[in-house]
Amino acid sequence: MVNLTIDGRAIQAKPGSTILEVAKENGIFIPYLCYHPALKPIGSCRICVVDVKPGPPRPIPACATYITEGMEVVTDTPKLAALRQELMKLVLINHALECPICDKGGECELQDLTHALSVSTVDLDAVKLPPNPDYVSRMVERHPDRCVTCGRCVKICRDRVGAMAINFTLRGYFTELASGAQPLDCEFCGSCIDICPVGALINKQFKYRARAWEGAKTEMACSFCGGGCTYQAHTKNGRILRVVNEDSVLLCGRGRFGWPVVEADDRLKTPLIRDNGKFREASWDEALDLVAAKFKETMEAGGAKAVYGVGSPRATNEANYIFQKFFREGLATNQLDNPGRYNYVRAIKAMAEVFGTPKVEGVEAGGALVPAYNSPLVVKEGGQGSGFPFVLGKLADLSKADLVLVVGTDVTPELPPLGWKLMEAKENANFRLVLANLRKTKFDRYADLSLRYKPGSERVLIAGLIKFILAENPDWTPAIQATGLDELKESLKKLTTKEITTKTGVEDAALKEAAALLAQAQAPAIVFGAELLSQDKGQQTALALADLFLLVGKPDSPGSAMYPVAEKNNSRGVSEVGVLPDMGPGYVPVEGSDPGPTLEEVLDLLEKDDPASPKALYLLGGDLLRWLPNRSRVKKLLKKVPFIVVQDAFLTDTAQLAQVILPVAVHAEQEGTFISSTGQLGLLNQALPTNGVRPDWQIISQLGVKLGFALKYVNPKEIFRELARKMPLWAGLAPKLSAPCPAIKAAVTGKFAPFEADISLPGRRPYTLIIGKSLQHSGSFTTHHPGGPMSVTGKALLTVNPEDARSLGLAAGEVVKVISSHGEITVPVDLSAEVPAGVVFLPEHFAAPAANDLTLNSNLMRVTIQKG
Amino acid sequence: MMTSQQKLETILSRYEGVAADLIPVLQDVQDEFNYLPKDELKIVAGRLQVSLTRVYSVATFFKMFSLEPRGKHLIRVCLGTACHLRGGQHLVETVGRRLNVEPGHATEDLQFSLETVGCLGSCAQAPLMMIDAKYFGRMAVDKVPKILKPYKQ
Repeated sequence: MVNLTIDGRAIQAKPGSTILEVAKENGIFIPYLCYHPALKPIGSCRICVVDVKPGPPRPIPACATYITEGMEVVTDTPKLAALRQELMKLVLINHALECPICDKGGECELQDLTHALSVSTVDLDAVKLPPNPDYVSRMVERHPDRCVTCGRCVKICRDRVGAMAINFTLRGYFTELASGAQPLDCEFCGSCIDICPVGALINKQFKYRARAWEGAKTEMACSFCGGGCTYQAHTKNGRILRVVNEDSVLLCGRGRFGWPVVEADDRLKTPLIRDNGKFREASWDEALDLVAAKFKETMEAGGAKAVYGVGSPRATNEANYIFQKFFREGLATNQLDNPGRYNYVRAIKAMAEVFGTPKVEGVEAGGALVPAYNSPLVVKEGGQGSGFPFVLGKLADLSKADLVLVVGTDVTPELPPLGWKLMEAKENANFRLVLANLRKTKFDRYADLSLRYKPGSERVLIAGLIKFILAENPDWTPAIQATGLDELKESLKKLTTKEITTKTGVEDAALKEAAALLAQAQAPAIVFGAELLSQDKGQQTALALADLFLLVGKPDSPGSAMYPVAEKNNSRGVSEVGVLPDMGPGYVPVEGSDPGPTLEEVLDLLEKDDPASPKALYLLGGDLLRWLPNRSRVKKLLKKVPFIVVQDAFLTDTAQLAQVILPVAVHAEQEGTFISSTGQLGLLNQALPTNGVRPDWQIISQLGVKLGFALKYVNPKEIFRELARKMPLWAGLAPKLSAPCPAIKAAVTGKFAPFEADISLPGRRPYTLIIGKSLQHSGSFTTHHPGGPMSVTGKALLTVNPEDARSLGLAAGEVVKVISSHGEITVPVDLSAEVPAGVVFLPEHFAAPAANDLTLNSNLMRVTIQKG
Repeated sequence: MMTSQQKLETILSRYEGVAADLIPVLQDVQDEFNYLPKDELKIVAGRLQVSLTRVYSVATFFKMFSLEPRGKHLIRVCLGTACHLRGGQHLVETVGRRLNVEPGHATEDLQFSLETVGCLGSCAQAPLMMIDAKYFGRMAVDKVPKILKPYKQ
């Protein structure tokens, strides 16, 4: 600790802190304008000047001066006060006095500071500058005449988001915040709005709707992806005004501007029952009675196994937990699965194969009084655990990695917080970023090495990396205790360097460099996502990556971990609480009864008209028709099921096939928890009335009770308590903490599993189509009007390389026909060199054109493109 | 005759294509096109892997760059201390009025651009102006028409 005095007060503080930070911690007021805790010191406003001994014979900025032993700081003298007043006058010299109509009024740092520093008149005169407001950009309104040129927005955009979409232009007194070319062309994350101390950047959704202080604030986890961010929803009269992340300020566009989905016009408001082929509105009692009666009827005719359930990566842990309980305890079957089967579950399966299923020892029930949504289990002395959850990384640790290998994933749309952590990691001089992707992404700009491989060749590339690491280091011993290395070597023996370079299209020098970086790294991490896992051999690719991590990973170093992207808010939770046919809560393999069929197997059963195929489907959200590959087949097969009940907020494509639809509450309308992609427990708090719809857990509970199951619960807190007691993996877990608890000593071991190092990209058509995620959207949840994401990205565009466009004779915006072996769609094109020649990209979120009209079993396929 | 695309490619081919090349590339573009055209700036940003806003930030910071087409002849009128005292302001106004142009802009026929500068380093000859590379010292407003005449088409 460092000893110093501030205004004569003796203070001890952490080394490496700045004077301003120490003063804030100790309740000593130093005024400032440009400093923000989420950013590194900027030092542009100079209002925080203080006198420091020993130090230069002039005041220095407290925000950018680090403390030293024996430092004497004086924060308030008549001279300093005069300086600050003078500086404030300079800031105010051309400031638009629009406080009564400025949205920042009431939370404006300049207002507060003017008051605090008693600046009553500005006796300076200068040329008036043109106001140059920007009303045309989407989501963000800019008023350069209210700007105090503190530089916070420029810094957050450049250093935290990595977008560099705004910057200062001109110089001196004429300096103006600008985007280069109007209107703003950026990620529309809006982080600049909330970091702005004044009203220079305004949230268009919030503008003129309320004064800053009027909103009631409710903190909740963001529901728009698996990132696990937390924000405060500001509400007034039962409506959301805006959402704000008061800690790090960062949110992505869909998180910050996506909330109006709750007010979407096409939300379902009452239960619907199909009558003579048409839906009619029904009361809750009628609908639930009908479902209960139909389920009973189905069971009497075909046994309990005739009912199959699909859980939801959107619903809370509590809803999914009692959903699996409905099947496991109510019906005594394992007839359930979740849609993550087609992506995230593949990663789990592969990692479980290499690192084993989780086992946790040395946890016990703690004291009687546990706060709500805290795990009742505590870790005893010597508690330890093994299995794949212990190689899954935590978000905060990613920035501690010294090398991150990102494979086949555009981090920014898949999981924005991972991208922010990469930006943070970049501040470490030893950090290396290796990107392997078939197309260019935002992070190519920051990568130390970019490997641009040919479509579908990921596994060959990973095999190549493994081979090169072992070739350069013949005596390599993995840091993790591992078996089976010889078998793995044997399985890759036939793969020659020439084969690797021709198949992947990556030069061996680049591969060797990447291999050397991986071998040298002290804390390597691997990031991969749904775009990779959704390929037909996604599980094999995940297996290859798990092998690679077993080879080079050092899980004892913070940050050295695997980061598979669990794309939706609870993709990880739905699996962890046991909505899987073969594993119960905590990934405990089912005992005493046979595992049920997976979702893939159920479709096969339906196809064969197998007697074991389900006669009734209970779908918790999860629009299967939209999200499962091969839409026409899924549609045909779902139509074979006599009774389908869907719980969803919208009349989705799958819901259209249902007999009963039960409308559910979405994000701010309910309470419960999520597990983020990186294991963090997010708590959802209710901020809005439900207006007739019901939360998922309540519907499942009520239906269960009607069927005579022991599923009566008063609130989600009670469900969480019961659930968490069964989850040793969650011992010590509480909101905003991540599982597994660091107090559980990780004893990770692994077994190398051979994988198929081949290319899977069937067909002979000339172009390769990859279906993936677009920045503004998350699933189809964000594709309902009104909502920020739709105003930014309102429709699907096929991204085509300009060279290909030239040879096809296409101009931007022209509509093309995309034909695969399985179907065809028409879509307008967008030209961008981000996709290499021969590759085209289509976002998956939109109902029309439905990307899965083209797919067979993979999001990567060969297609033909025709003009017109 | 090279297309603007080819001209830009020639310039870019002289550099490694890293962010540090930004200023020299912009200088070459300015020389070649006589200003910094928007479309070309976009390509430059993409090639050098810097954001477009960074390019604009640099392009607007330095006076040697112009985002709008500059005239064939560049007139620089000095407003440094000595020139200011000896009537530099009158000189700017006179030139501007005769050519119908505001300082910082180009004439409609793109024959002249008028700019004011801080000092031309020849204070003994104040007030001073330059047309392209030629100095005109000990200026007076009534000398302006004669001086401008040979530069007009």
